[in-house]
Amino acid sequence: MEERQKKELEQIRKKLKKLLVTNLSLADIKPEDIKDDEILFEEGLGLDSLDAVEIVVLLQRNFGLEVKDMDQGKKIFFSVDTLTQYIYENTKKPSKK
Amino acid sequence: MIKIVITGIGTISAAGANLTETLDNFQDGKRNAGPVSLFPSTLPYPVFEVKNIPEKWRKDGMRTLSLALCAVEEALNDAELRHHLSGLRVGVCLGTTVASQLNDLDFYDTYRSMGEAPMDPVDRFLRGNLAGAVACIIKAQGPCLTVVNACSSGADAIGVALSWLKNGICDLVLAGGADELNHVPFCGFGSLGIMSESLCAPFDRDRMGLNLGEGAGILILETETFARQRGQKSQLYLAGYGSAADAYHLTAPRPDGAGLEAALQKALTEANITPQDICFVNAHGTATQDNDKVEGNVLARVFGPDIKIISTKGYTGHTLGAAGGLETAFTAVALLKGWIPASPGFENPDDEIPVMPLMEETSICGNYVVSTSLAFGGNNSALVIGNKA
Amino acid sequence: MNISGIGIIFTHGRGINKYDEALRQGWRKPSLIELPSVPNKQFPLYPVEEKTITDKGISGKTRRADKFSKMAVLAAMDALQDSDLKIDKKKFSLGIIVASAFGPHVTTFRFLDDILDYGEANVSPTLFSHSVHNAAASYIASVLDSQGPTITCTQFSLSFQQALILSKAWLHEGRCEYVLVGSVDECGTVMEYICSQKLKMAHDGKIKPFTFSARPWAVPGEGSVFFLVSRDKALKKYCQIEEITLGCQAIKEEDIDITILDADGIAGDESQYRNSLPTNAYIAGYAPIFGSMMTGSSFQCAAGALMIKNQIRYACPVQDNPYNVNICKVTKQAKMKKIQCIRYNCLNEKAVIMLQQ
Repeated sequence: MEERQKKELEQIRKKLKKLLVTNLSLADIKPEDIKDDEILFEEGLGLDSLDAVEIVVLLQRNFGLEVKDMDQGKKIFFSVDTLTQYIYENTKKPSKK
Repeated sequence: MIKIVITGIGTISAAGANLTETLDNFQDGKRNAGPVSLFPSTLPYPVFEVKNIPEKWRKDGMRTLSLALCAVEEALNDAELRHHLSGLRVGVCLGTTVASQLNDLDFYDTYRSMGEAPMDPVDRFLRGNLAGAVACIIKAQGPCLTVVNACSSGADAIGVALSWLKNGICDLVLAGGADELNHVPFCGFGSLGIMSESLCAPFDRDRMGLNLGEGAGILILETETFARQRGQKSQLYLAGYGSAADAYHLTAPRPDGAGLEAALQKALTEANITPQDICFVNAHGTATQDNDKVEGNVLARVFGPDIKIISTKGYTGHTLGAAGGLETAFTAVALLKGWIPASPGFENPDDEIPVMPLMEETSICGNYVVSTSLAFGGNNSALVIGNKA
Repeated sequence: MNISGIGIIFTHGRGINKYDEALRQGWRKPSLIELPSVPNKQFPLYPVEEKTITDKGISGKTRRADKFSKMAVLAAMDALQDSDLKIDKKKFSLGIIVASAFGPHVTTFRFLDDILDYGEANVSPTLFSHSVHNAAASYIASVLDSQGPTITCTQFSLSFQQALILSKAWLHEGRCEYVLVGSVDECGTVMEYICSQKLKMAHDGKIKPFTFSARPWAVPGEGSVFFLVSRDKALKKYCQIEEITLGCQAIKEEDIDITILDADGIAGDESQYRNSLPTNAYIAGYAPIFGSMMTGSSFQCAAGALMIKNQIRYACPVQDNPYNVNICKVTKQAKMKKIQCIRYNCLNEKAVIMLQQ
């Protein structure tokens, strides 16, 4: 993986964790406590269906991304890593080549 | 045992401006939905709006009250009470969501940007407590309560009325619910991802969510003794009410449906009947994934998979605080007339739902029917209506 | 109907003991807040502090809850705890009735902010789901794991009285064995602005319940009170709520030890209260402890219940008394058998809650 890509992914991860803690009112959790590959829903971090729709809004407001199909959402919202990957791939600026 | 009879019914919704019109539309399978016209919106969801509110009940900025008054007038006329309320112990118990909230977007926008705002919307809000305003207009002098239990408000208001009457707190109650289609909950339900861009399909395999609607459904309930004293006869009576909380989640129903099942059992116990006595259920049936799955499974568990069910939300949309009032009214009328319309929108059974709504107009015979309501906040309610005939 | 537990969240803290302490201590200055809309001017308010509603024990189940819901949950929880009733085997027999005049309007306005700032397709579902009145009842049921019936009702000034009438009916019918009945209301900056426009704000910070003015002074407050009530006499820890009467129903006024006037400046003209004064009994009004609230009668009732339980008479916190009525001037031990709490709404309809030993 390119160094630049790694850096960008790390930046997204960091921003995302902060947003999750604030927007989902995870008061007892620090952003850095959320593991990159931790399952976000149910037995993992314990998020639920209301958090899922809140993440949809979070993606829309902060990254300009629209997730309409919640079945697709389930895969994207699996962990911080999957979310980060989705954001990275869908917000990449078109190459100038 | 004190019997509580239903002596008057009034309804208004996109399905009809009164009960007669509604039944005609039920028979024709008409679904009067379309894009929002009441406020500017770019959201793609169809809605069930009431098109013509009679001039005399139009109240600026108080649409919920207007809708309620239309249904109140019809119900009072039906009960032959129009001019005879003074001196009676009349209670008013109505459910709503919109009329309880100070959520005027223009007021708030002006306040935010100018630092001040005219107080007219606040005054309207303060005058507009739904039960209070109706009681004031019809000069009812008994207990008065606005129930704000989200989507089960109308049903719970009828349940409260039953308690008032059984406890002798008053002799007659106007009970039910009313709600207008409002921009704020329209955005809210959109954000929850549970509104459908097409017409709703309750209990269908391919259901995509609910459509919002508006309206009012009002019952006149009175003790049998009181009704008899004033020369009223009624075959219909409110036999039982049950309510139970999910204690689970603010927006999702409890997956095992234990709360709804408890509500149904309580209502049947109060009516002193068994599930086998129920000849059909007017389900909450919002057409969201979760509601229909949980509700369908509970109904199958309690009444067996062959129970006749319908969701009239296919004709009215989800009218929130009015839903319990409207649906109890429809349920009562169906019992009296002996037929139920086809459940609109249903085409394909869902493997995960063991009950199936009726696909065509069906006659029913039996003495008891049920209407169910489930609400945000995890409230579940069930009402049993009986026919003395 | 017997009161067997009380929980309370108010400007001076949490819990019935804290309330007793505040009633003994007497009047304290309200906070002064500035409204973004009215610069260089301060308005009095009896707010509930954030620290009062911080409770690690419930933070998991209430992580998303707003102030409105948290106040109600804590007051309801404390009422249950105060009663020593264990509901684990009674989860279907506990009813919950929540009365609120204005509901969670702070969250409602935050949701309107979303619509205005981000557009109708980009609003927070969490805010929307918390903007409905019954969010608090839902949290109470969830935190207590109570699966009995729940009702949230709103009737402005008489919300609490109507909730009590329904509790009594539910218990009488056997719809439930116990009811947690109470009130919750909050006062955010928009509501404070509305109060500043609609009411005569007491700039000396004093609500004066005995001036019987057509334009009385108000200091908005916020908080929540819950009562655990049942028909079980063994559970009568405080007193019984003998009756709740509305309108012109006649009330026998003999043997009343104190008449509490819920005159707090929030429902307009208070001259009617003068017509309700008893001939012999003491008169009191405790709104200056917790602030002006449409659902303030629940706080007055909690004071009444404490007086009967502890056989004490609390001095009126603000004693301006132009008509020289027989107000309680000092806090002292006294025989307390019967207390009535009177409230008039803005239509001049009278409601009386009668408490008895």
